[in-house]
Amino acid sequence: MTRRRCWLTALGVVLVAWIVGAEWVSIHVGVPENHFIDAAVGLSFVLAGLVALDRRPGNATGVLMIAYAVSAYFGNWSNLNIAAVPMIGMIGAQPSGAFIAHAALAYPTGRLRTRFERFVIGLIYGVNAVVCVVILLAFDPRADGCTRCAWEPAPFPSRTAVLTSLSLSQRAAFLTVPLFFLAVWLRWRRSTPAERRDLIPLWIGFAVVGLVYLMDGFASPDTTADQFSYLMWELQSVLQISLPLIFLWGLLATRLARSAVGDLVVAMDRPLLPGELRAALAKALGDPLLRVLYALDDGDHWVDADGRPESPPRPGEGRRAKAVTVIDRAGGPLAALIHDPALDAGLVRAVAAAAGIRLENERLQADLRAQLDEVRASRQRIVEAGDRERRRVERNLHDGAQQRLATLVLSLAMLRDRDGVDPALAASIEATTSDLKQAIAELRELARGIHPAILTEEGLPAAVEALADRSAVPVQVRTDFEGRLSEPVEAVAYFVVAESIANVIKYAQARAARVELSRRDGVLLVEVSDDGVGGADVSHGSGLRGLADRVAAVRGTFGVQSPPGGGTLVRVEIPVPAER
Amino acid sequence: MARSVLIVDDHAGFRAQAKALLAVAGYEVVGEAADGASGVRVAMDLSPDVVLLDVQLPDLTGFEVVRQIRSRPDPPAIILISSRDAADYGGRIARSGARGFITKADLSAMALESVLEGPAP
Repeated sequence: MTRRRCWLTALGVVLVAWIVGAEWVSIHVGVPENHFIDAAVGLSFVLAGLVALDRRPGNATGVLMIAYAVSAYFGNWSNLNIAAVPMIGMIGAQPSGAFIAHAALAYPTGRLRTRFERFVIGLIYGVNAVVCVVILLAFDPRADGCTRCAWEPAPFPSRTAVLTSLSLSQRAAFLTVPLFFLAVWLRWRRSTPAERRDLIPLWIGFAVVGLVYLMDGFASPDTTADQFSYLMWELQSVLQISLPLIFLWGLLATRLARSAVGDLVVAMDRPLLPGELRAALAKALGDPLLRVLYALDDGDHWVDADGRPESPPRPGEGRRAKAVTVIDRAGGPLAALIHDPALDAGLVRAVAAAAGIRLENERLQADLRAQLDEVRASRQRIVEAGDRERRRVERNLHDGAQQRLATLVLSLAMLRDRDGVDPALAASIEATTSDLKQAIAELRELARGIHPAILTEEGLPAAVEALADRSAVPVQVRTDFEGRLSEPVEAVAYFVVAESIANVIKYAQARAARVELSRRDGVLLVEVSDDGVGGADVSHGSGLRGLADRVAAVRGTFGVQSPPGGGTLVRVEIPVPAER
Repeated sequence: MARSVLIVDDHAGFRAQAKALLAVAGYEVVGEAADGASGVRVAMDLSPDVVLLDVQLPDLTGFEVVRQIRSRPDPPAIILISSRDAADYGGRIARSGARGFITKADLSAMALESVLEGPAP
């Protein structure tokens, strides 16, 4: 047995003696009550208080329960009419109500949390203190017929003063009781779900107290007076026994909740779908708003189960601050549970330990998803950078070579048209001009292939129409939308159509092709079909493969149906974030 | 009487060659501008018969310059020019309000006359 437990045992012996002694006094002076039940009430408070002190040493609830029991039994001792005992008994019995109110409002942490709570409890203690001072100064036991009280009368003996103070303290209850319930209500409003769950036993306790209070009006310990009154008396005494047990149950509820860890271990024994681990942890902890983040790079980065970056909240951050419990594994952070601050830290760690291997698995999956997202984003950035570069090259060709060649054509034309130019030279200049114009046309076609200006100028439908107009195979275009799409989407869709039409011309031996562009439900659908020989294969050749990669870069899907002899259908779906 | 022409193009070499070519063909080049804002201002100041206007300018697009010039009373005939092909601009040329379009390499007095003789927008 530890030293602490020895002290608690010794304290228990003293307290049991105090209760039993008080009951002995009641029996001795003939107080009409069920002494067995009365002793049981006191002993239940003492026992619950001692258990609370043992299990929750830092929690004041145990001390307050014991204080209540000690205070309440001062009343019994005051019946011992010797020396100063009646006065001490009266003073000692005064704060019992304050102790139970304090325990209730501070439940389950044992701490009063707001200034208003401290004010209300302070007021209740204060009223009791005033009564105690009046008793100390004015109580004269001999005026009450205590002939054996071998004790000098109070400095200002006044039976009226004592009775008035006692009466006023009872009337003060009209103020303190509503204030107390207001504090309780405010406490409930500010409580988190987990705190409310802990407070429920308290409400049960209050219901019991209220019932006892109401029964008091009908109750009488006198068996000769009225059977019903006596029954009420017995019943309220029995209900009082349950009060400390309810307090104790709520206080140790987090320990009882550890059985949830066992349920969690069982739940961990089967494969979990994404998100189920969070749900299982939330259920085990009784915190439906629980969130789990996973540490990457030794905690330098955090992600949720889907791999999306997110940082744990800082302490006190947000309107309803959350607690963050970081779970370490193998010397580094594994996960962070963002939970209700009212949850028992030990229970949170126990639950996290039970789910340890699952947390590790989910962290690996989250890491994988984060990497996948990064790869996708990186691929998108690469494609977008490529598109930007294409636009830049096309612009440079336009601003540089094409301009110079056009100017050269004009210079040659002027030279050719000069008076007195040798006809042979004029013919040669004309031939050179023609070659230059051909070069300009080829350069223009090259620039168009790199990035068509019409796509930038007019958007996808117009660019596809222009493409169809230049095609060697007749291409019918059908579009069911107007307006612009984002630059990456327009570029990807355009090159899908351009490459597909190029394939139709080169390989399909088709008589005609058809392009359909439609937009619905946040998706751009691009279909290019022909009536050619079919047999196209994405795995062969870099053209279709490259298209599939470009489409994937904008989170689209790419499919090819090309049965031999049955034509080819290229079908692409691209999510469209916003109109331009 | 010779038609007066304003050339708006950011390439000085092209402006010089175009000016010489048009002068030989009997046009009077009354002014030049290297960007869209200057082009609008000079067109208002000089009131030329024809504005030869590059589609790609450093500050404004040729289409915007057309809109601004045509918003004033009694606007000149505007002919868009570019080293790109008309097809590269889709329907924008037709919608712009310009009299027509000539690729820079095809610029000549004959091409100019052909466009000017066409229907006004």
